[in-house]
Amino acid sequence: MNLKKVLVKDCVCLSLKSDTKTGIIEEMIEHLFSVGKITNRQGAFDAIMAREKKMSTGLQHGIAVPHAKTDTVKGLVAAIAFRKEGVDFESLDGQPANIFVMTLSPLNRTGPHIQFLSEMSQLLNRSDLRQRLLAAQDVGQVLEILHSGQ
Amino acid sequence: MHMTRLVLQLAAILITARIFGLLFERYAKQPRVLGEIVAGMIIGPYALGGLALPFVNSPLFPAMPGNMPVSSELYAIATIASIVLLFRAGLETDLSMFLRYSVVGSLVALGGVIVSFIFGAGIAVLCGKAESFMDPVALLLGTISTATSVGLTARILSERRKMSSPEGVTILAGAVLDDVLGIIILAVVVGIAKLTTGGGEIAWGKVAIIAGKAFGFWLAFTVFGILMAPRITRALKLFRSNDAVAVVVFGLALFFAGLSERAGLAMIIGAYVTGLSLSQTDMAHELCDRLNGIYGMLVPVFFCVMGMMVNFVELKGAVLFGLAYSAVAILGKVIGCGLPALGLGFNMRGAFRIAAGMLPRGEVTMIIAGIGLSSGIITSELFSVAVMTLFVASIIAPPILINSFKGGSGVRSQLADKRQESLKHIELEFPRGVLQFMRLRLEQAFRNEEFFVHRIESNGEVCQIRKEDIVITLTVEDGRIILTTAAKNEQLVRLLVLEEVLELKDLLESVEKMKKPDSMGHDLLAQMFTGDSD
Repeated sequence: MNLKKVLVKDCVCLSLKSDTKTGIIEEMIEHLFSVGKITNRQGAFDAIMAREKKMSTGLQHGIAVPHAKTDTVKGLVAAIAFRKEGVDFESLDGQPANIFVMTLSPLNRTGPHIQFLSEMSQLLNRSDLRQRLLAAQDVGQVLEILHSGQ
Repeated sequence: MHMTRLVLQLAAILITARIFGLLFERYAKQPRVLGEIVAGMIIGPYALGGLALPFVNSPLFPAMPGNMPVSSELYAIATIASIVLLFRAGLETDLSMFLRYSVVGSLVALGGVIVSFIFGAGIAVLCGKAESFMDPVALLLGTISTATSVGLTARILSERRKMSSPEGVTILAGAVLDDVLGIIILAVVVGIAKLTTGGGEIAWGKVAIIAGKAFGFWLAFTVFGILMAPRITRALKLFRSNDAVAVVVFGLALFFAGLSERAGLAMIIGAYVTGLSLSQTDMAHELCDRLNGIYGMLVPVFFCVMGMMVNFVELKGAVLFGLAYSAVAILGKVIGCGLPALGLGFNMRGAFRIAAGMLPRGEVTMIIAGIGLSSGIITSELFSVAVMTLFVASIIAPPILINSFKGGSGVRSQLADKRQESLKHIELEFPRGVLQFMRLRLEQAFRNEEFFVHRIESNGEVCQIRKEDIVITLTVEDGRIILTTAAKNEQLVRLLVLEEVLELKDLLESVEKMKKPDSMGHDLLAQMFTGDSD
């Protein structure tokens, strides 16, 4: 799938401030709300937290992919955010997470949700790409790294 | 009277073809096609069908004068059936798999086609059935011996879990080119035959022009089709009904079949290319499913009608030639497919396995022979020989193939390991009651991601799940669900399965919270007798 269409300028958040898992999720949802990607903050937050309750989406190598299917969005909405210092995300390898990819998709409509997640995690599986992303100075650089890596 | 007879003929064909097909499949472990052909032989004009029926005092299948012993109406229905058959064969073609293993697969197929063509045409000349190699009769007999039908091979490979072995992959990839080459050769031969009505031979120059025209038409048509297919499918999706899409697409197949006939090629070429063009779209499997109904009804008619054309009297005189022709048809594949395989990293064992897998003949053989008979290129004697070869190859191939897979590796190099490595298997064990439930959940989860789910076996034990270039096989086996896919898609499958497993956990928790099943059962039974029925 074409990541360029999903990951646009508004979807990137360079430096998150929170140092807790819930705080990171709240901050990313707030960001998506502020750029008009979602209208129901609480609904989106509840959906993400319900999924996190089942099993943490903290993967390995500092990557976390909080995601959910919810009625609060009409199409696939995604955001990528960073916190260089790392946050405990109850990850699989026990390491703090510093790259976060949030994905929200409509509940009762077909479309690539897991496919987007898998393509993002496949991309972020490359350590050189992760390092370049964490060192990126601005949003444009982040998008360029992601799009060129695809 | 004509119409009544046609309807009665169809009734007899459908019922007997289905019964014989099932008998062959279930008890003789042979392809259903063979049973359907035998049904045609038995009820056809040269056997029982030629006898006068009581009360009406006329036969159900009176032998018609000329080359075709059946009525033109019945033959027209069989022709439409052959269009359906080839259209679906095109749709089912796995071009991407062929392209992936194109070098080995195409050389094996090319070798098999060239050698068996030369052998088939050569034996016709040697036995005096044709005047020269360029005689349309020789060319058609050559063409008949080229077409492989891997349906039988695929079934055996699947049963023995050899489908993804290097030999299995090569056979299946090779079979794609084999069909394509067989059809191009047929186009050329039909073109030549149309020029030489009444037999004889024609100059090489003219043959080259015809071959160029046939190949050019085929290539232009295929390239155009493959390039246009994504646009066509996008437009077709506007119907928002898979049934409507299937009807329109079948209409297109008929249109292109007619167009290719007008261009001097056989109708089936247009139908096959239409299918081939759409085979790479994500609608291919859905279309195949929708065609199942018409396929199941019409295609047995085709094979049964082909069986009716076997003239026993003439076959009696051609048994020796039939045996010789069958032998060279088999030898042609063994040499033609085996030698390239030997040079491409397979050892003797592997090369023989590949050759054995390419032995069975089937649908395309029958279609080519049918076209040969209807266009007057071959007589019913030679047509009967073609049917005989089909039977000989299909009966001989399975034991040879099964035995060939006994023993060690069939590869000399590390070819097999590289290919095996590229496939990943994800196995999940579930309790019996949950297994089928999870299979349905997973299928739905893939559909939700806009994948097409195609059940290869009607009971759903094997499914192919596909979206663009992503292909996943889901197999249910011994209490496990096995998902097989290329390494690049492994993450997608793992993430998707994880979400479904988490959903299952949620479901189980909610079931726990449900009113106790005992009290629910009690309520259900108690309320059965609350109403007063007196």
